[in-house]
Amino acid sequence: MAKVLEGPGMGLMKKWGIHVPHYVVVTSADELAKLGQANDWMKTSKLVAKAHEALGSRFKLGLVKVGLDLKGAVAATKEMIGRQVGSIMVTQVIVSEMVSHKEEYYCAVKSTREGSEILVANCGGIEVESNWDRVKRLCLEVGQAPSPDALETLSKDAGFTGALTKKMADFAGKMFTCFDNEDAQYLEVNPVVVRESDGELVALDAVTLLDGDAKFRHPDWNFQFAAEFGRAYSKDEMEVMAVDSKIKGSVKFIEIPGGDTAMLPAGGGASVYYSDAVVARGGKLANYAEYSGDPPDWAVEVLTEKVCSLPGIKNIIVGGAIANFTDVKKTFGGIINGFRKAKSDGKLKGVKIWVRRGGPREKEGLDAMRALKDEGFNINVFDRNTPLTDIVDKALQK
Amino acid sequence: MSILANKDTHVVIQGGAAGVNAARRMAEFCYLIKRPLNVEAFVYPPDAGKTNEIPYGSGLIAIPVYKTVAEATKNHPTINTSLVYIGADRAMKGAMEALDDSHIKVASMITEGVPEKDAKLLGAHARKLGKVFNGPSSIGIISAGACRLGVIGGAFDNLVLSKLYREGSFGVITKSGGLSNEIIWICSQFADGITTAIGIGGDAYPGTDYVSYLEMFENDPQTKAVVIVGEMGGDLEERAAEWYGAKKRRVKLIGVVSGFCQESLPKGMKFGHAGAKEGMKGEGSARSKSDALKKSGAIVPATFGALGPAIKETYQELLKSGQVKEPVEPAVLPKLPKSVEEAMRADEVMVAPLIRTTISDDRGDEPCYDGYPASELINKGYEIPHVIGLLWDKRLISKQEAEIIKRIMMLSADHGPCVSGAYATILAACAGIGMSQAVAAGLIMIGPRFGGAVTDAGRWFKYAVDNKMNVDEFLAYMKKNVGPVPGIGHRVKSLRNPDKRVKELVGYVKSLNIKTPCLDFALQVEQVTAAKKDNLILNVDGTMAAVLVDLGFPVDSLNGFFILSRTIGLIGHWVDQKRQDSRLIRLFDYLVNYAAPKRREVPPLK
Repeated sequence: MAKVLEGPGMGLMKKWGIHVPHYVVVTSADELAKLGQANDWMKTSKLVAKAHEALGSRFKLGLVKVGLDLKGAVAATKEMIGRQVGSIMVTQVIVSEMVSHKEEYYCAVKSTREGSEILVANCGGIEVESNWDRVKRLCLEVGQAPSPDALETLSKDAGFTGALTKKMADFAGKMFTCFDNEDAQYLEVNPVVVRESDGELVALDAVTLLDGDAKFRHPDWNFQFAAEFGRAYSKDEMEVMAVDSKIKGSVKFIEIPGGDTAMLPAGGGASVYYSDAVVARGGKLANYAEYSGDPPDWAVEVLTEKVCSLPGIKNIIVGGAIANFTDVKKTFGGIINGFRKAKSDGKLKGVKIWVRRGGPREKEGLDAMRALKDEGFNINVFDRNTPLTDIVDKALQK
Repeated sequence: MSILANKDTHVVIQGGAAGVNAARRMAEFCYLIKRPLNVEAFVYPPDAGKTNEIPYGSGLIAIPVYKTVAEATKNHPTINTSLVYIGADRAMKGAMEALDDSHIKVASMITEGVPEKDAKLLGAHARKLGKVFNGPSSIGIISAGACRLGVIGGAFDNLVLSKLYREGSFGVITKSGGLSNEIIWICSQFADGITTAIGIGGDAYPGTDYVSYLEMFENDPQTKAVVIVGEMGGDLEERAAEWYGAKKRRVKLIGVVSGFCQESLPKGMKFGHAGAKEGMKGEGSARSKSDALKKSGAIVPATFGALGPAIKETYQELLKSGQVKEPVEPAVLPKLPKSVEEAMRADEVMVAPLIRTTISDDRGDEPCYDGYPASELINKGYEIPHVIGLLWDKRLISKQEAEIIKRIMMLSADHGPCVSGAYATILAACAGIGMSQAVAAGLIMIGPRFGGAVTDAGRWFKYAVDNKMNVDEFLAYMKKNVGPVPGIGHRVKSLRNPDKRVKELVGYVKSLNIKTPCLDFALQVEQVTAAKKDNLILNVDGTMAAVLVDLGFPVDSLNGFFILSRTIGLIGHWVDQKRQDSRLIRLFDYLVNYAAPKRREVPPLK
């Protein structure tokens, strides 16, 4: 699931014939001023300026300014660019025309197991959240497109009448076309408004989640996906992502500031059970990590170095189930190199390492880990006969 | 009994190297259960028409590779299952091709990173056709004692430890590939093992979900209980709970769900599997899934660690009620033949080495020359002549010796385009021949008449010095036993037109005040021979030879100095011709003396 910012999100909607307000995404106030000379709408309409970053509650943070003229928008842009909010710095501002309207509606398309679902409501904005029962749905099987009749029925069910019934049905149809063709997982427009100037339905705000795995068939996805948890990725996280994109198999790393139990487990499934075990024992996770699919040893070494660099850690959990085809000796070789490097850099002082693993060449791998004791590591090594998460219990025993 | 995969399963594998690896693993399992290999064919257009060699026991089985699934099933009509090992961008097309083939009943996809829409389309298509599409991101399917599809089950030792050679009573369904193995292992240690274990993949919308497989397990009398390993995200576990709670089921259901940690983690945190994500409104959390399973009557251990004991308890109940009997283990199991390397590591065989080397070893992280790591030689200031000393004479030569060798090489690197070696290389280059062959053509010219006299010259000068001969004795000996003295004489140079290279080298070596008995002897020989005939001077081969023998290099290595140096020139000539894009050349008729008989009639063949 890959989140897309408003600018590119609206771009995709526009591509599929959905009316969106005029907008520009700028990286400086000067750029906006120049664009203002080139585009009439910026001189004649009231404008909205918003920080174009993956930030929640932008309004509260003063990162949304409405009812501006061009001069005001340039000033707002100048003020927003470069502002630091947590780990995110504002580098882009989206400036769009304010569309005068009275009524607000809601339309979304979401992915379901069977296919997808089109959601329509004849209320919008915050009103829809408190009146969720007014949202009407049209369920579709994968590969099936909604018929004009079905869309009109949906529109009627949601309470639209007169000329608006067909307009909303068309709007929802275009939303579906966009969703289907762009490999979206979630598209939401809230609010949909009736533009007073021409009576057309316009998408005022868009949430766009795309299927990142489908990028290979969308050469025009020239935008970056936004970080999904309200903060920018750290340098170490991005370095691991860069490694991940280059290798067979995978390595993953997310920091959780303030924790003291570092995670270095194998496998997308087991890693979560290890995290669960830490939390269940009252421990505090310092990170999430995972390597799988028999990654090269150097990639695991990079991951290990990042894990060892986490501040204030007391334990490192090198857990893993019984691998199918990940070579335990080879991947442990990468971990051991990472540990050695960290130690020679003065890290891992007082840190206890806990190992549990099985799989191809498990004996050689576990023996190599055990041998680290002789190099002065505080390491405890267990084999398949110790249940998966017991090392967490041992590590966190008071 | 088992579900999905059994003794009648015959497989086509779609894909390249990863598919071949899976076939190897499957062959190990077939060998363990003493069944023929169940992989009948591969489909991989780039290799169509070839075969893939799959080790089975100590032998190899050649499995044909086809361009299309249709070709594979036409030639192997027993095929009923396809394993898809194709990249994410082409995986859907490949799996569709398999599903649309009337022979294929089950398609299982290991590919990760397949677009959600593709997975849904494949799932829907399979359901419409009444077939099974398993995956994407599936580690595979294994039925104990019957059939392995993919790498699920791990290494051979693990197959044995997890008792996969014979049936147990537990079905397993997991999203995670690694955990499938863990559960199989747990079932073999805390109970009597598994019937079938299925990896459904960690994607948000797997082609087949828990419920479909639970239904199959319910109808498999051998399966008495099913273990499902779930994780947060989606609603598959809730659906499983709904199925289990809907009516009295024959199988017992044991389930664990991961993702409780999410309650205390930053929102939106991404986990290992694509499907492991919380819904917009918090649905699909580990807690809601776990609660749903409990409510349905399933056994839900509090932690993963408690799963073993829960399985054990279930098994004990099954034993007590007589639904299962203690399994009988086979007395002897086949042992997977070890590779030579493995057997040697285990000190089980002794292999007589084929070759023996005494000069270098690159099995570590870098080559070692006569024991010295190359990088250390570089960092301590050693140069090419020292490497020559190490590899040709197994000794670390002095700075002075290195300087002499360097000078010898510089003096003999090239001698213009007209000499046999360079001319041969140029001729080859003009004929469009590649570097290694063209340079080799030049090197082939090195012999008794061109550059190849160094070794012989060294041999005989050394012979004379070792036997304390004087010049007259030496020349008499050579005349009687050998012939012309190697290293003496030049086609164009003479006393009056001396070879500057010889003068240069002799001058330098003499200036060093080192003992040079061979060189001294060679110069004495020159005085006598040149007095007889003007061009019987000590030539560059002879000078090099005498100096190198004085430095202690073995006689047999001496030609190497000329070959090595001249290779520099030959490469230069080849590159030079290439750079000019020279055209093919041939001799002009006027350069040939046609001395063959005149044209005449061929007599009738007798």
